[in-house]
Amino acid sequence: MTLKLDQSWQAALDKLKTWARLNSPWAIHFNSGSCNGCDIEILATLTPRYDVERLGIKLQGSPRHADVLICTGPVTRQARDRLVRIYEQMPEPKFVIAVGSCALSGGAFRGCYNILGGIDQVIPVDVYVPGCPPRPEAIIDGVVKLLAKLRGDNPSDTPVVFDPDSAGEAAILAGEDPVEDLAHAQREEEAIA
Amino acid sequence: METDTCLQTAAELLAPWAQETIEPEPGRVDVVVAPGDLVAAAHALMDARWGYLTAITGLDPGEEDGRLEALYHFACGAAIVTLRVRVPRAQPAVPSLIGVIPSVSFYERELMEMFGIVVEGTPNTDRLFLPEDWPDGVYPLRKDFRMEQLGG
Amino acid sequence: MASEKFVIPIGPQHPALKEPGHFEFNVDGEIVTDASVRLGYVHRGIEKGAETRNFVQAEYLVERICGICSHVHATAFCLGVERLAGVEAPPRAQAIRQIVAELERIHSHLLWVGVAAHEAGFDTLFMYTWRDRETVMNLLEGITGNRVNYSANVLGGVKCDIGSEQAEAIQIGLNFLEERTRHYLDVVSSDAMFLRRTRGIGVMTREDAERMGVVGPTARASGVPRDVRIDAPYLLYAEHPVELVIEEAGDLEARFKVRVRELFESYRVIRELLTALPEGELTTRIPRRIKPAETISRVEAPRGELFYFIKSNGTDSAERVKVRTPTLPNMASVLVLSVGHQLADVPMILAGIDPCFSCNDRMAVVKRNGDEQVWTWEQLRQYGIEYYR
Repeated sequence: MTLKLDQSWQAALDKLKTWARLNSPWAIHFNSGSCNGCDIEILATLTPRYDVERLGIKLQGSPRHADVLICTGPVTRQARDRLVRIYEQMPEPKFVIAVGSCALSGGAFRGCYNILGGIDQVIPVDVYVPGCPPRPEAIIDGVVKLLAKLRGDNPSDTPVVFDPDSAGEAAILAGEDPVEDLAHAQREEEAIA
Repeated sequence: METDTCLQTAAELLAPWAQETIEPEPGRVDVVVAPGDLVAAAHALMDARWGYLTAITGLDPGEEDGRLEALYHFACGAAIVTLRVRVPRAQPAVPSLIGVIPSVSFYERELMEMFGIVVEGTPNTDRLFLPEDWPDGVYPLRKDFRMEQLGG
Repeated sequence: MASEKFVIPIGPQHPALKEPGHFEFNVDGEIVTDASVRLGYVHRGIEKGAETRNFVQAEYLVERICGICSHVHATAFCLGVERLAGVEAPPRAQAIRQIVAELERIHSHLLWVGVAAHEAGFDTLFMYTWRDRETVMNLLEGITGNRVNYSANVLGGVKCDIGSEQAEAIQIGLNFLEERTRHYLDVVSSDAMFLRRTRGIGVMTREDAERMGVVGPTARASGVPRDVRIDAPYLLYAEHPVELVIEEAGDLEARFKVRVRELFESYRVIRELLTALPEGELTTRIPRRIKPAETISRVEAPRGELFYFIKSNGTDSAERVKVRTPTLPNMASVLVLSVGHQLADVPMILAGIDPCFSCNDRMAVVKRNGDEQVWTWEQLRQYGIEYYR
């Protein structure tokens, strides 16, 4: 099942797919104490509907082989050391995507006694994806922007923030009918089986 | 069993130890008991299969009050009976219910780390929610807790 | 079904790290002799946070205790505060709250079936159920504007309505899901490989479940008739009730069957509410300051009874908000009962209570004959899968 996408988004994706096949970054995911809302949406990006792996980014388990660290959560006191150690185990060059309001600033929990208040309180962050939680499209857009940065398209060191007017939104507005799409996909599958 | 009948049964079971009985809202009865009577009161309810322990709430009425309070909530259908135990702030201690309810350990660990109420006889005194390096003697749910107590 | 080497990023993945175990198992040969746990990982300090926020702000906080059952937390909190204030949300709002609550239960149960299947090595089932969940998330998004953290509640009612278009979309979605659920019921009841890892595993007797305060589908799988929607109806559960779904075996198979069968009750109740949706307002006024009182608010979250104790003090802030999630008594009971079981059964036993899945990727310390090893959850899970090969 493919997303019905508008032209500029499709063009960007095609360009990226070519590049990504030559440079497939491996990502590792870390939850620093989030409610799991963001983690659910990150997981959703792996499922067939969003399929982030077609962009060439592969989610796996070991920090020693990872290029990208995708983090959620406001960093609880217990999580801090683990977060630092994972980051330290990653080889250079390495990049960090902070997903969700908590990862950005502590979010709704800012000021609560057991949290440090965001991933960048502990390690440097390259991409911030706001939302509580951000939609899978927004997370993918963050990944796309990071991949562009990896390729050297965004040489500045300032973090890239998801732009709500950007291509990600275009996908949403392209007018999918998810219920019909899923039912259709289901019928197709059963026809093949 | 009807809620009112449930509550009445509980009140009768707890009568030997009830220092005070309050009806805070429909479907609920609070019974104040002395710390030394907590185990016997809990046994009375559990042995009669009245219901189950659904939560333990710690309360700090404020620094001017010389006491802390532990609330043991038992549920049976829609009825809730709460055993209220008041302990002196200077030396707060309650007996463990581990002999009555084998799964009570989590609730007691939480009460201890959040309020500093010592639960005598509880099998596991490790912190449940707070980190290992949390400073001793700092109880976050007490009213006099300040972030500065956590240090760096 | 063959298990693929498939890594799911549930919680932290770091096989390289050794640290104090969150789970600790003492074993003699293959048998667990002692089990304990430390849960601090997602502890943020929310109860304290609620004391320094006003009631409106505190609602945003409790919505985020858990990303899977956000609505049920907000509902418990709002019902409690409304009771303290002496107000009642209008009937239309109660109906919408109930519809969203049941949709959330569907989403949560499907999520769990997938995760539990993954724990047993059935990744295809995981992919199917998680794809089907997307249907529910779309419906929730259609009503509330959000896939996760729907934020449907406000103090005094709800902030979103259900129009005829959404009602129709819900009906279509539920028809699709019901057909899929019949298929899942078939798998969990008759797939031989699946049953080998679930039948007779992790048995909890009715007496143990009753005494230890086990709640939710875990309790109902052991024959304990405990369901807050039936025992102490709230919202419109008195007028539009669910039937008790109960199994007697108390094993993992029973826990699967209860959750899958409950889905049919959720589908039915939502349809009933949609055809009988009360007319009227979505909110009622609620005072900003609430006179001093104490209340207890209990609702049936997907995992079981959710317990709130709220104390007001005459200001616009709570004096105390105590939250007891259903995973707590269930996990406590399951650890007590894991003693005497095979280590290989532990991942499935724990998955059976449907804990918050950030708990599924903890480090586990396994102590055997004085030798102490640190395992990742992934290793423990793989151990279980290999053991039954």
